[in-house]
Amino acid sequence: MAAAVAAARSLRRAGWRLWRGRAVVRCQLYQPQRALQASAVLRRVSDEQKEPLASSQQQFDSHPADHQPEKKPQGPRPSYTGQGGQESEDYESEEQLQHRILTAALEFVPQHGWTAEAIAEGAKTLGLSVAAAGMFHSDGSELILHFVSQCNTKLSELLEQEQKLVQLGKAEKKPTDQFLRDAVEARLRMLIPYIEKWPQALSILLLPHNIPSSLNLLTSMIDDIWQYAGDQSTDFNWYTRRAVLTGIYNTTELVMMQDSSPDFEDTWRFLENRVADAMNMGNTANQVQSTGEAVVQGLMGAAVTIRNLAGLNQRR
Amino acid sequence: MAAAALCPYRALLARRRGALRALSGSVRGLAAGPETHFGFQTVTEAERREKIYHVFESVAKKYDVMNDSMTLGIHRLWKDILLHKMNPSPGTLLLDVAGGTGDIAFRFINYVRSARERQLQQKLKHHQNLSWQEISESYQEDKFKSLGDSQVVVCDINKEMLKVGKQKAQHLGYSEGLSWVLGDAEELPFDDDKFDVYTIAFGIRNVTRIDLALQEAYRVLKPGGRFLCLEFSHVSNPLLSRLYDLYSFQVIPVLGEVIAGDWKSYQYLVESIRRFPPQEELKAMIEDAGFFKVDYQNLNSGIVAIHSGFKL
Repeated sequence: MAAAVAAARSLRRAGWRLWRGRAVVRCQLYQPQRALQASAVLRRVSDEQKEPLASSQQQFDSHPADHQPEKKPQGPRPSYTGQGGQESEDYESEEQLQHRILTAALEFVPQHGWTAEAIAEGAKTLGLSVAAAGMFHSDGSELILHFVSQCNTKLSELLEQEQKLVQLGKAEKKPTDQFLRDAVEARLRMLIPYIEKWPQALSILLLPHNIPSSLNLLTSMIDDIWQYAGDQSTDFNWYTRRAVLTGIYNTTELVMMQDSSPDFEDTWRFLENRVADAMNMGNTANQVQSTGEAVVQGLMGAAVTIRNLAGLNQRR
Repeated sequence: MAAAALCPYRALLARRRGALRALSGSVRGLAAGPETHFGFQTVTEAERREKIYHVFESVAKKYDVMNDSMTLGIHRLWKDILLHKMNPSPGTLLLDVAGGTGDIAFRFINYVRSARERQLQQKLKHHQNLSWQEISESYQEDKFKSLGDSQVVVCDINKEMLKVGKQKAQHLGYSEGLSWVLGDAEELPFDDDKFDVYTIAFGIRNVTRIDLALQEAYRVLKPGGRFLCLEFSHVSNPLLSRLYDLYSFQVIPVLGEVIAGDWKSYQYLVESIRRFPPQEELKAMIEDAGFFKVDYQNLNSGIVAIHSGFKL
């Protein structure tokens, strides 16, 4: 067994050398395989899953081409890359590496803000050079968008879990306004560790080149919340509800930015009031309509009376 | 510090290049050496290296003046854009290959210095309630770190260019964090995984084996490190291309003769620009060397292009 492994190792080494020694003779045919090349950092996704092979894998991280026939591709995490569809399923793609860097960068945000410096520090913790921050835009937009999408995912998972509990009968189904309040509160609480630098993030999200992505994230989050709240409307209500909740969310977020009460009590009370207003809005609309009708009838009656008094209604 | 880090050539490296040479030699027949181009002439590789060495030896003293007159000063903007794209943070190690007279290195030092100052100001803003002890400590430790551990190593194959660069540095007052090393881009005298950023500004055109230079760049960069290449490239706009050709072939050699007394070197320069691979081809070559996220940015609609890649 050990001899076979050693033999395989030396074969792979020879294969790697031969392959790296291509130069003049190489033709475009080899283009798709470049994705499998020696990569210093894009680690095997399966590294985390296969502990016993960890040592040998580490040594041969850079010999992907010959490693293929031996190892069966690990299942659940396919990696996608734009450079030739033959990227092995075992290697993480550049996007996944970028996600890892951004996640690592989040812990430096309170200190450096949402900037390229935070990303550089994050890259350093992963063992990469600080120059890796050059992969991202220098104003930190990708970091913020990554964070927002992470928060939205966490919120979805939370709501999913709650729904499961309700379905299993272990919890009571909340009334709509309570549900909305809790969902928005849970989502806004995720901002608390970064609250000092969040205004900066909001302003960056409003930059023209970021608006499509940030709007996308916002609308999908609001849609998620309404889905879990049990909204099944198919008429214009669908739009009204989402618009109303978006308004509530944005205003509450702004209130939170300048709230200095302990544990943001003022913000939650503001949220409660706004949600209550939204609930009443439906009734108010009906009331306005019936009041309107009543007023119109009154006016008509007054007009007839005046005509009578002025003698214009006489039939001679 | 970097000058002392001469690495013994790895046997693998020598063997690999030996294999390459033999391969290309046999493919091209039994010529004196593999053939390549020098401007619009065809020469052997050895001849080309020698000729290029002589070109830069003779233009070294007037290099900066000629740059300004040929590009009407726009080359300064190009180099500034390169630095802005690099966006180095304090603590970055830069290797500037074919850096000759040090333009990129000096800009790097300026950039890092101002970034460091901004950093220190930010830190001070947060320090509102310090004791006298803490204040005095912070003054002491920050005094010696005006660059924040950033370093730049300027590597060039030509002694004359390095000499001019060193004189300029002395003249402008750059001393901290700067080293000058004589070295060949195809065989860098540095260890693996050393540098954060590798730049080569208007130099890769003069390298005889570009693929070797790219492989060396890959080798000396740290994981996550960045490769940046600023070079003349191909103009796609036909009208601009004609004007550019006219300017290049009629005006530049004349300027060379008038200002530097050297027509041939500047003839070589404009010819070598035409022989250099276009943007997409260079991008493919950089990807072949193992870099990821390779991209290029055209400046002045293709007259100059910045290629960037990461060692991931």
